[in-house]
Amino acid sequence: MNDAVAITTAEAEPDWQRLHPATLALAVVKLGPRSLQFLPAVAALGFTGNWIWIVPAIGAFLLISLAAAWFQWLRFRFLVGGDEVVIESGVLSRQHRTIPFDRIQDVSIEQGLVSRALGIAKVGFETGAGGKENDASLDAIALDSAQALRTTIRAHRSGEVAAPVATADASEAPPFVEDRLLFAMTPRQLLIAGLFNFSLAALAVVGAGMQFFDGLLPFDFNVFNPMDWINIAEDYGLDQWLLAHRWIAGVGAALSLLLIGFASGIATMFFANWDFRLTREPRALRRTRGLTTRTDVAVPVKRVQAAILVTGWFRQRFGWHELRLQSLASDGEKERDHQVVPFAKLGEIDPVLSEVAIRRPDAGQAWQHSHRIVALGPITGAVCATIGGGVALYLGNEVGGLGLVAAPLIALIAFWAARFHRWADLGEQVAIRRGAWKPKMTLLPHASVQSVDLKSDFILRPLGLATLVFGVPGGSSLATHEIPAIPLAAAIDLRTRILAARARS
Amino acid sequence: MTDTPAAHPTDPFDPDAINAAEGLDPVDPAYTQVLRIATALNLIPLAIGASIFDALLIRHIDGPYGLITALAWLAAVVMIATFPSRRVARWGYRIGEGQLRVARGWLFRTDTIVPFVRVQHIDVGQGPIERWFGLSHLIVHTSGTHNSTVTLPGLHADLAAAMRETIRRHIQTDFA
Repeated sequence: MNDAVAITTAEAEPDWQRLHPATLALAVVKLGPRSLQFLPAVAALGFTGNWIWIVPAIGAFLLISLAAAWFQWLRFRFLVGGDEVVIESGVLSRQHRTIPFDRIQDVSIEQGLVSRALGIAKVGFETGAGGKENDASLDAIALDSAQALRTTIRAHRSGEVAAPVATADASEAPPFVEDRLLFAMTPRQLLIAGLFNFSLAALAVVGAGMQFFDGLLPFDFNVFNPMDWINIAEDYGLDQWLLAHRWIAGVGAALSLLLIGFASGIATMFFANWDFRLTREPRALRRTRGLTTRTDVAVPVKRVQAAILVTGWFRQRFGWHELRLQSLASDGEKERDHQVVPFAKLGEIDPVLSEVAIRRPDAGQAWQHSHRIVALGPITGAVCATIGGGVALYLGNEVGGLGLVAAPLIALIAFWAARFHRWADLGEQVAIRRGAWKPKMTLLPHASVQSVDLKSDFILRPLGLATLVFGVPGGSSLATHEIPAIPLAAAIDLRTRILAARARS
Repeated sequence: MTDTPAAHPTDPFDPDAINAAEGLDPVDPAYTQVLRIATALNLIPLAIGASIFDALLIRHIDGPYGLITALAWLAAVVMIATFPSRRVARWGYRIGEGQLRVARGWLFRTDTIVPFVRVQHIDVGQGPIERWFGLSHLIVHTSGTHNSTVTLPGLHADLAAAMRETIRRHIQTDFA
């Protein structure tokens, strides 16, 4: 508490600061992609025969861009006050923005490849205002001053809300203890995670590329074509032997498929999660990760709304899970929740969950099932596919047969997977499970629920069923938290219990 | 607002039966006229468009001229005459016990409950047609991503203002 005040006052002197000069170097790097826009102009000059003007034009473009970057840098200044950040920017139209520390949900620090070489970082302020473009950022300042700024803002927040935290998790982590390491990924774990991350998505790209550049490649070899493997063998005089053992070619093709799948899985895992560290800070869980682009994100513990445990049909057999936390502050544009544990056994995940005061149901938990009617949507789709396939086949298109084969399969899988829609009320939180191929368990504390919808329609109503949909802060509006098709009485009962919960403090 | 007991508890075909059975209050009957005018403003241009299409195209290709025009106007008249009252009968609300309850629809019925403490802010809005009939609509904002706004239309302007005051007294900021 006293530390916090000390830091705050120390930083409070009204000194306007500028962005790090190395930002200009960053602007030069950013010129690369931007100069592409200039290409049409160059081409036009070339076509009209004014060759002489090309070099001066490019020179002028570079000069103007650099001057613009320099002016922007000159006119951008910020002030870290006692309880607010003030940012002034703009060359022609000036912007003056004041962000009180109270309104800053989260401070993120991001470093790209060039930024790391220059020792600077981009600081983003998450204010919870709608839309990413509304959030202010300092792009970029020195890494250590970025970290100091974040400490200042966090300390302010901790000082302000120290009283409630003492009651909430005094037993677990008294404020201002050393940061504890909760979870880290060693290269070996990354390797295992990468192996389970096997993905043939990259394969589609490589395959499409090979098709596209077939004539352009310096070598005439397609790893997916067994004939090419036979050709290689011929070169080495193995053809006679191979003719007898054609399957070798097939195995070669399959092996290269596997190799690409595993390599891409491992590569994406290494790039994203290299040196993954999750630490418990006084007020937040802090995650740093990344090989080329290092990100440093803090998830304030009090803003965690729900936990989502994701696993896979296959990795579940080995006990591997992934933990995501849904928070009021979102994690970038694409990811709407924070991945705090990318790949771990449940034993390693439990301590993280207990930090955010969420409990995982134990193995003996009695689950209640959703009605199998949830499979109706996919089954309707399957019926449509059957009809469509039948019509196509009748009209003489053989592809229609594919629909006829796939439809019963889809229907069967949907009917089987419907069994995996389950839920349980754990007293202070609801656990919702769904999915067979990619099982997902949402742990939603009652107190996070902002509103409850009880939905029924002309199909559910005659069956005496209803669907509960919960309004929860954060996350995406596409992935709602819902318990589909449960008995009406159970739904009304659960709704009453959830609404009785006090606000999550 | 008021604690009126269920007025029509028996007849399942009564328009008020759904709301009464669930202990909900109906919205103002004048909202039917608002919906009717809004529906008319949407459908009549469509019907006119269909008539023009009919006159310009179907007549020239020797199609069944007049069929589309007749169907379009028939559908528009039926929808304007009958649908609004049915839709209005299926809106219901209940305010009390520290929570606002809003239910709507029949084929796809949604029954939403928002506790007052979870309300971020409240709007009372009034469109030009609503002003004509002295009605307002109440919009409640929550911080949830799903249901970030819950709208309750068809309230008498005074009642909407009174409801806003009731909810406002309960609002407490949960998030700094």
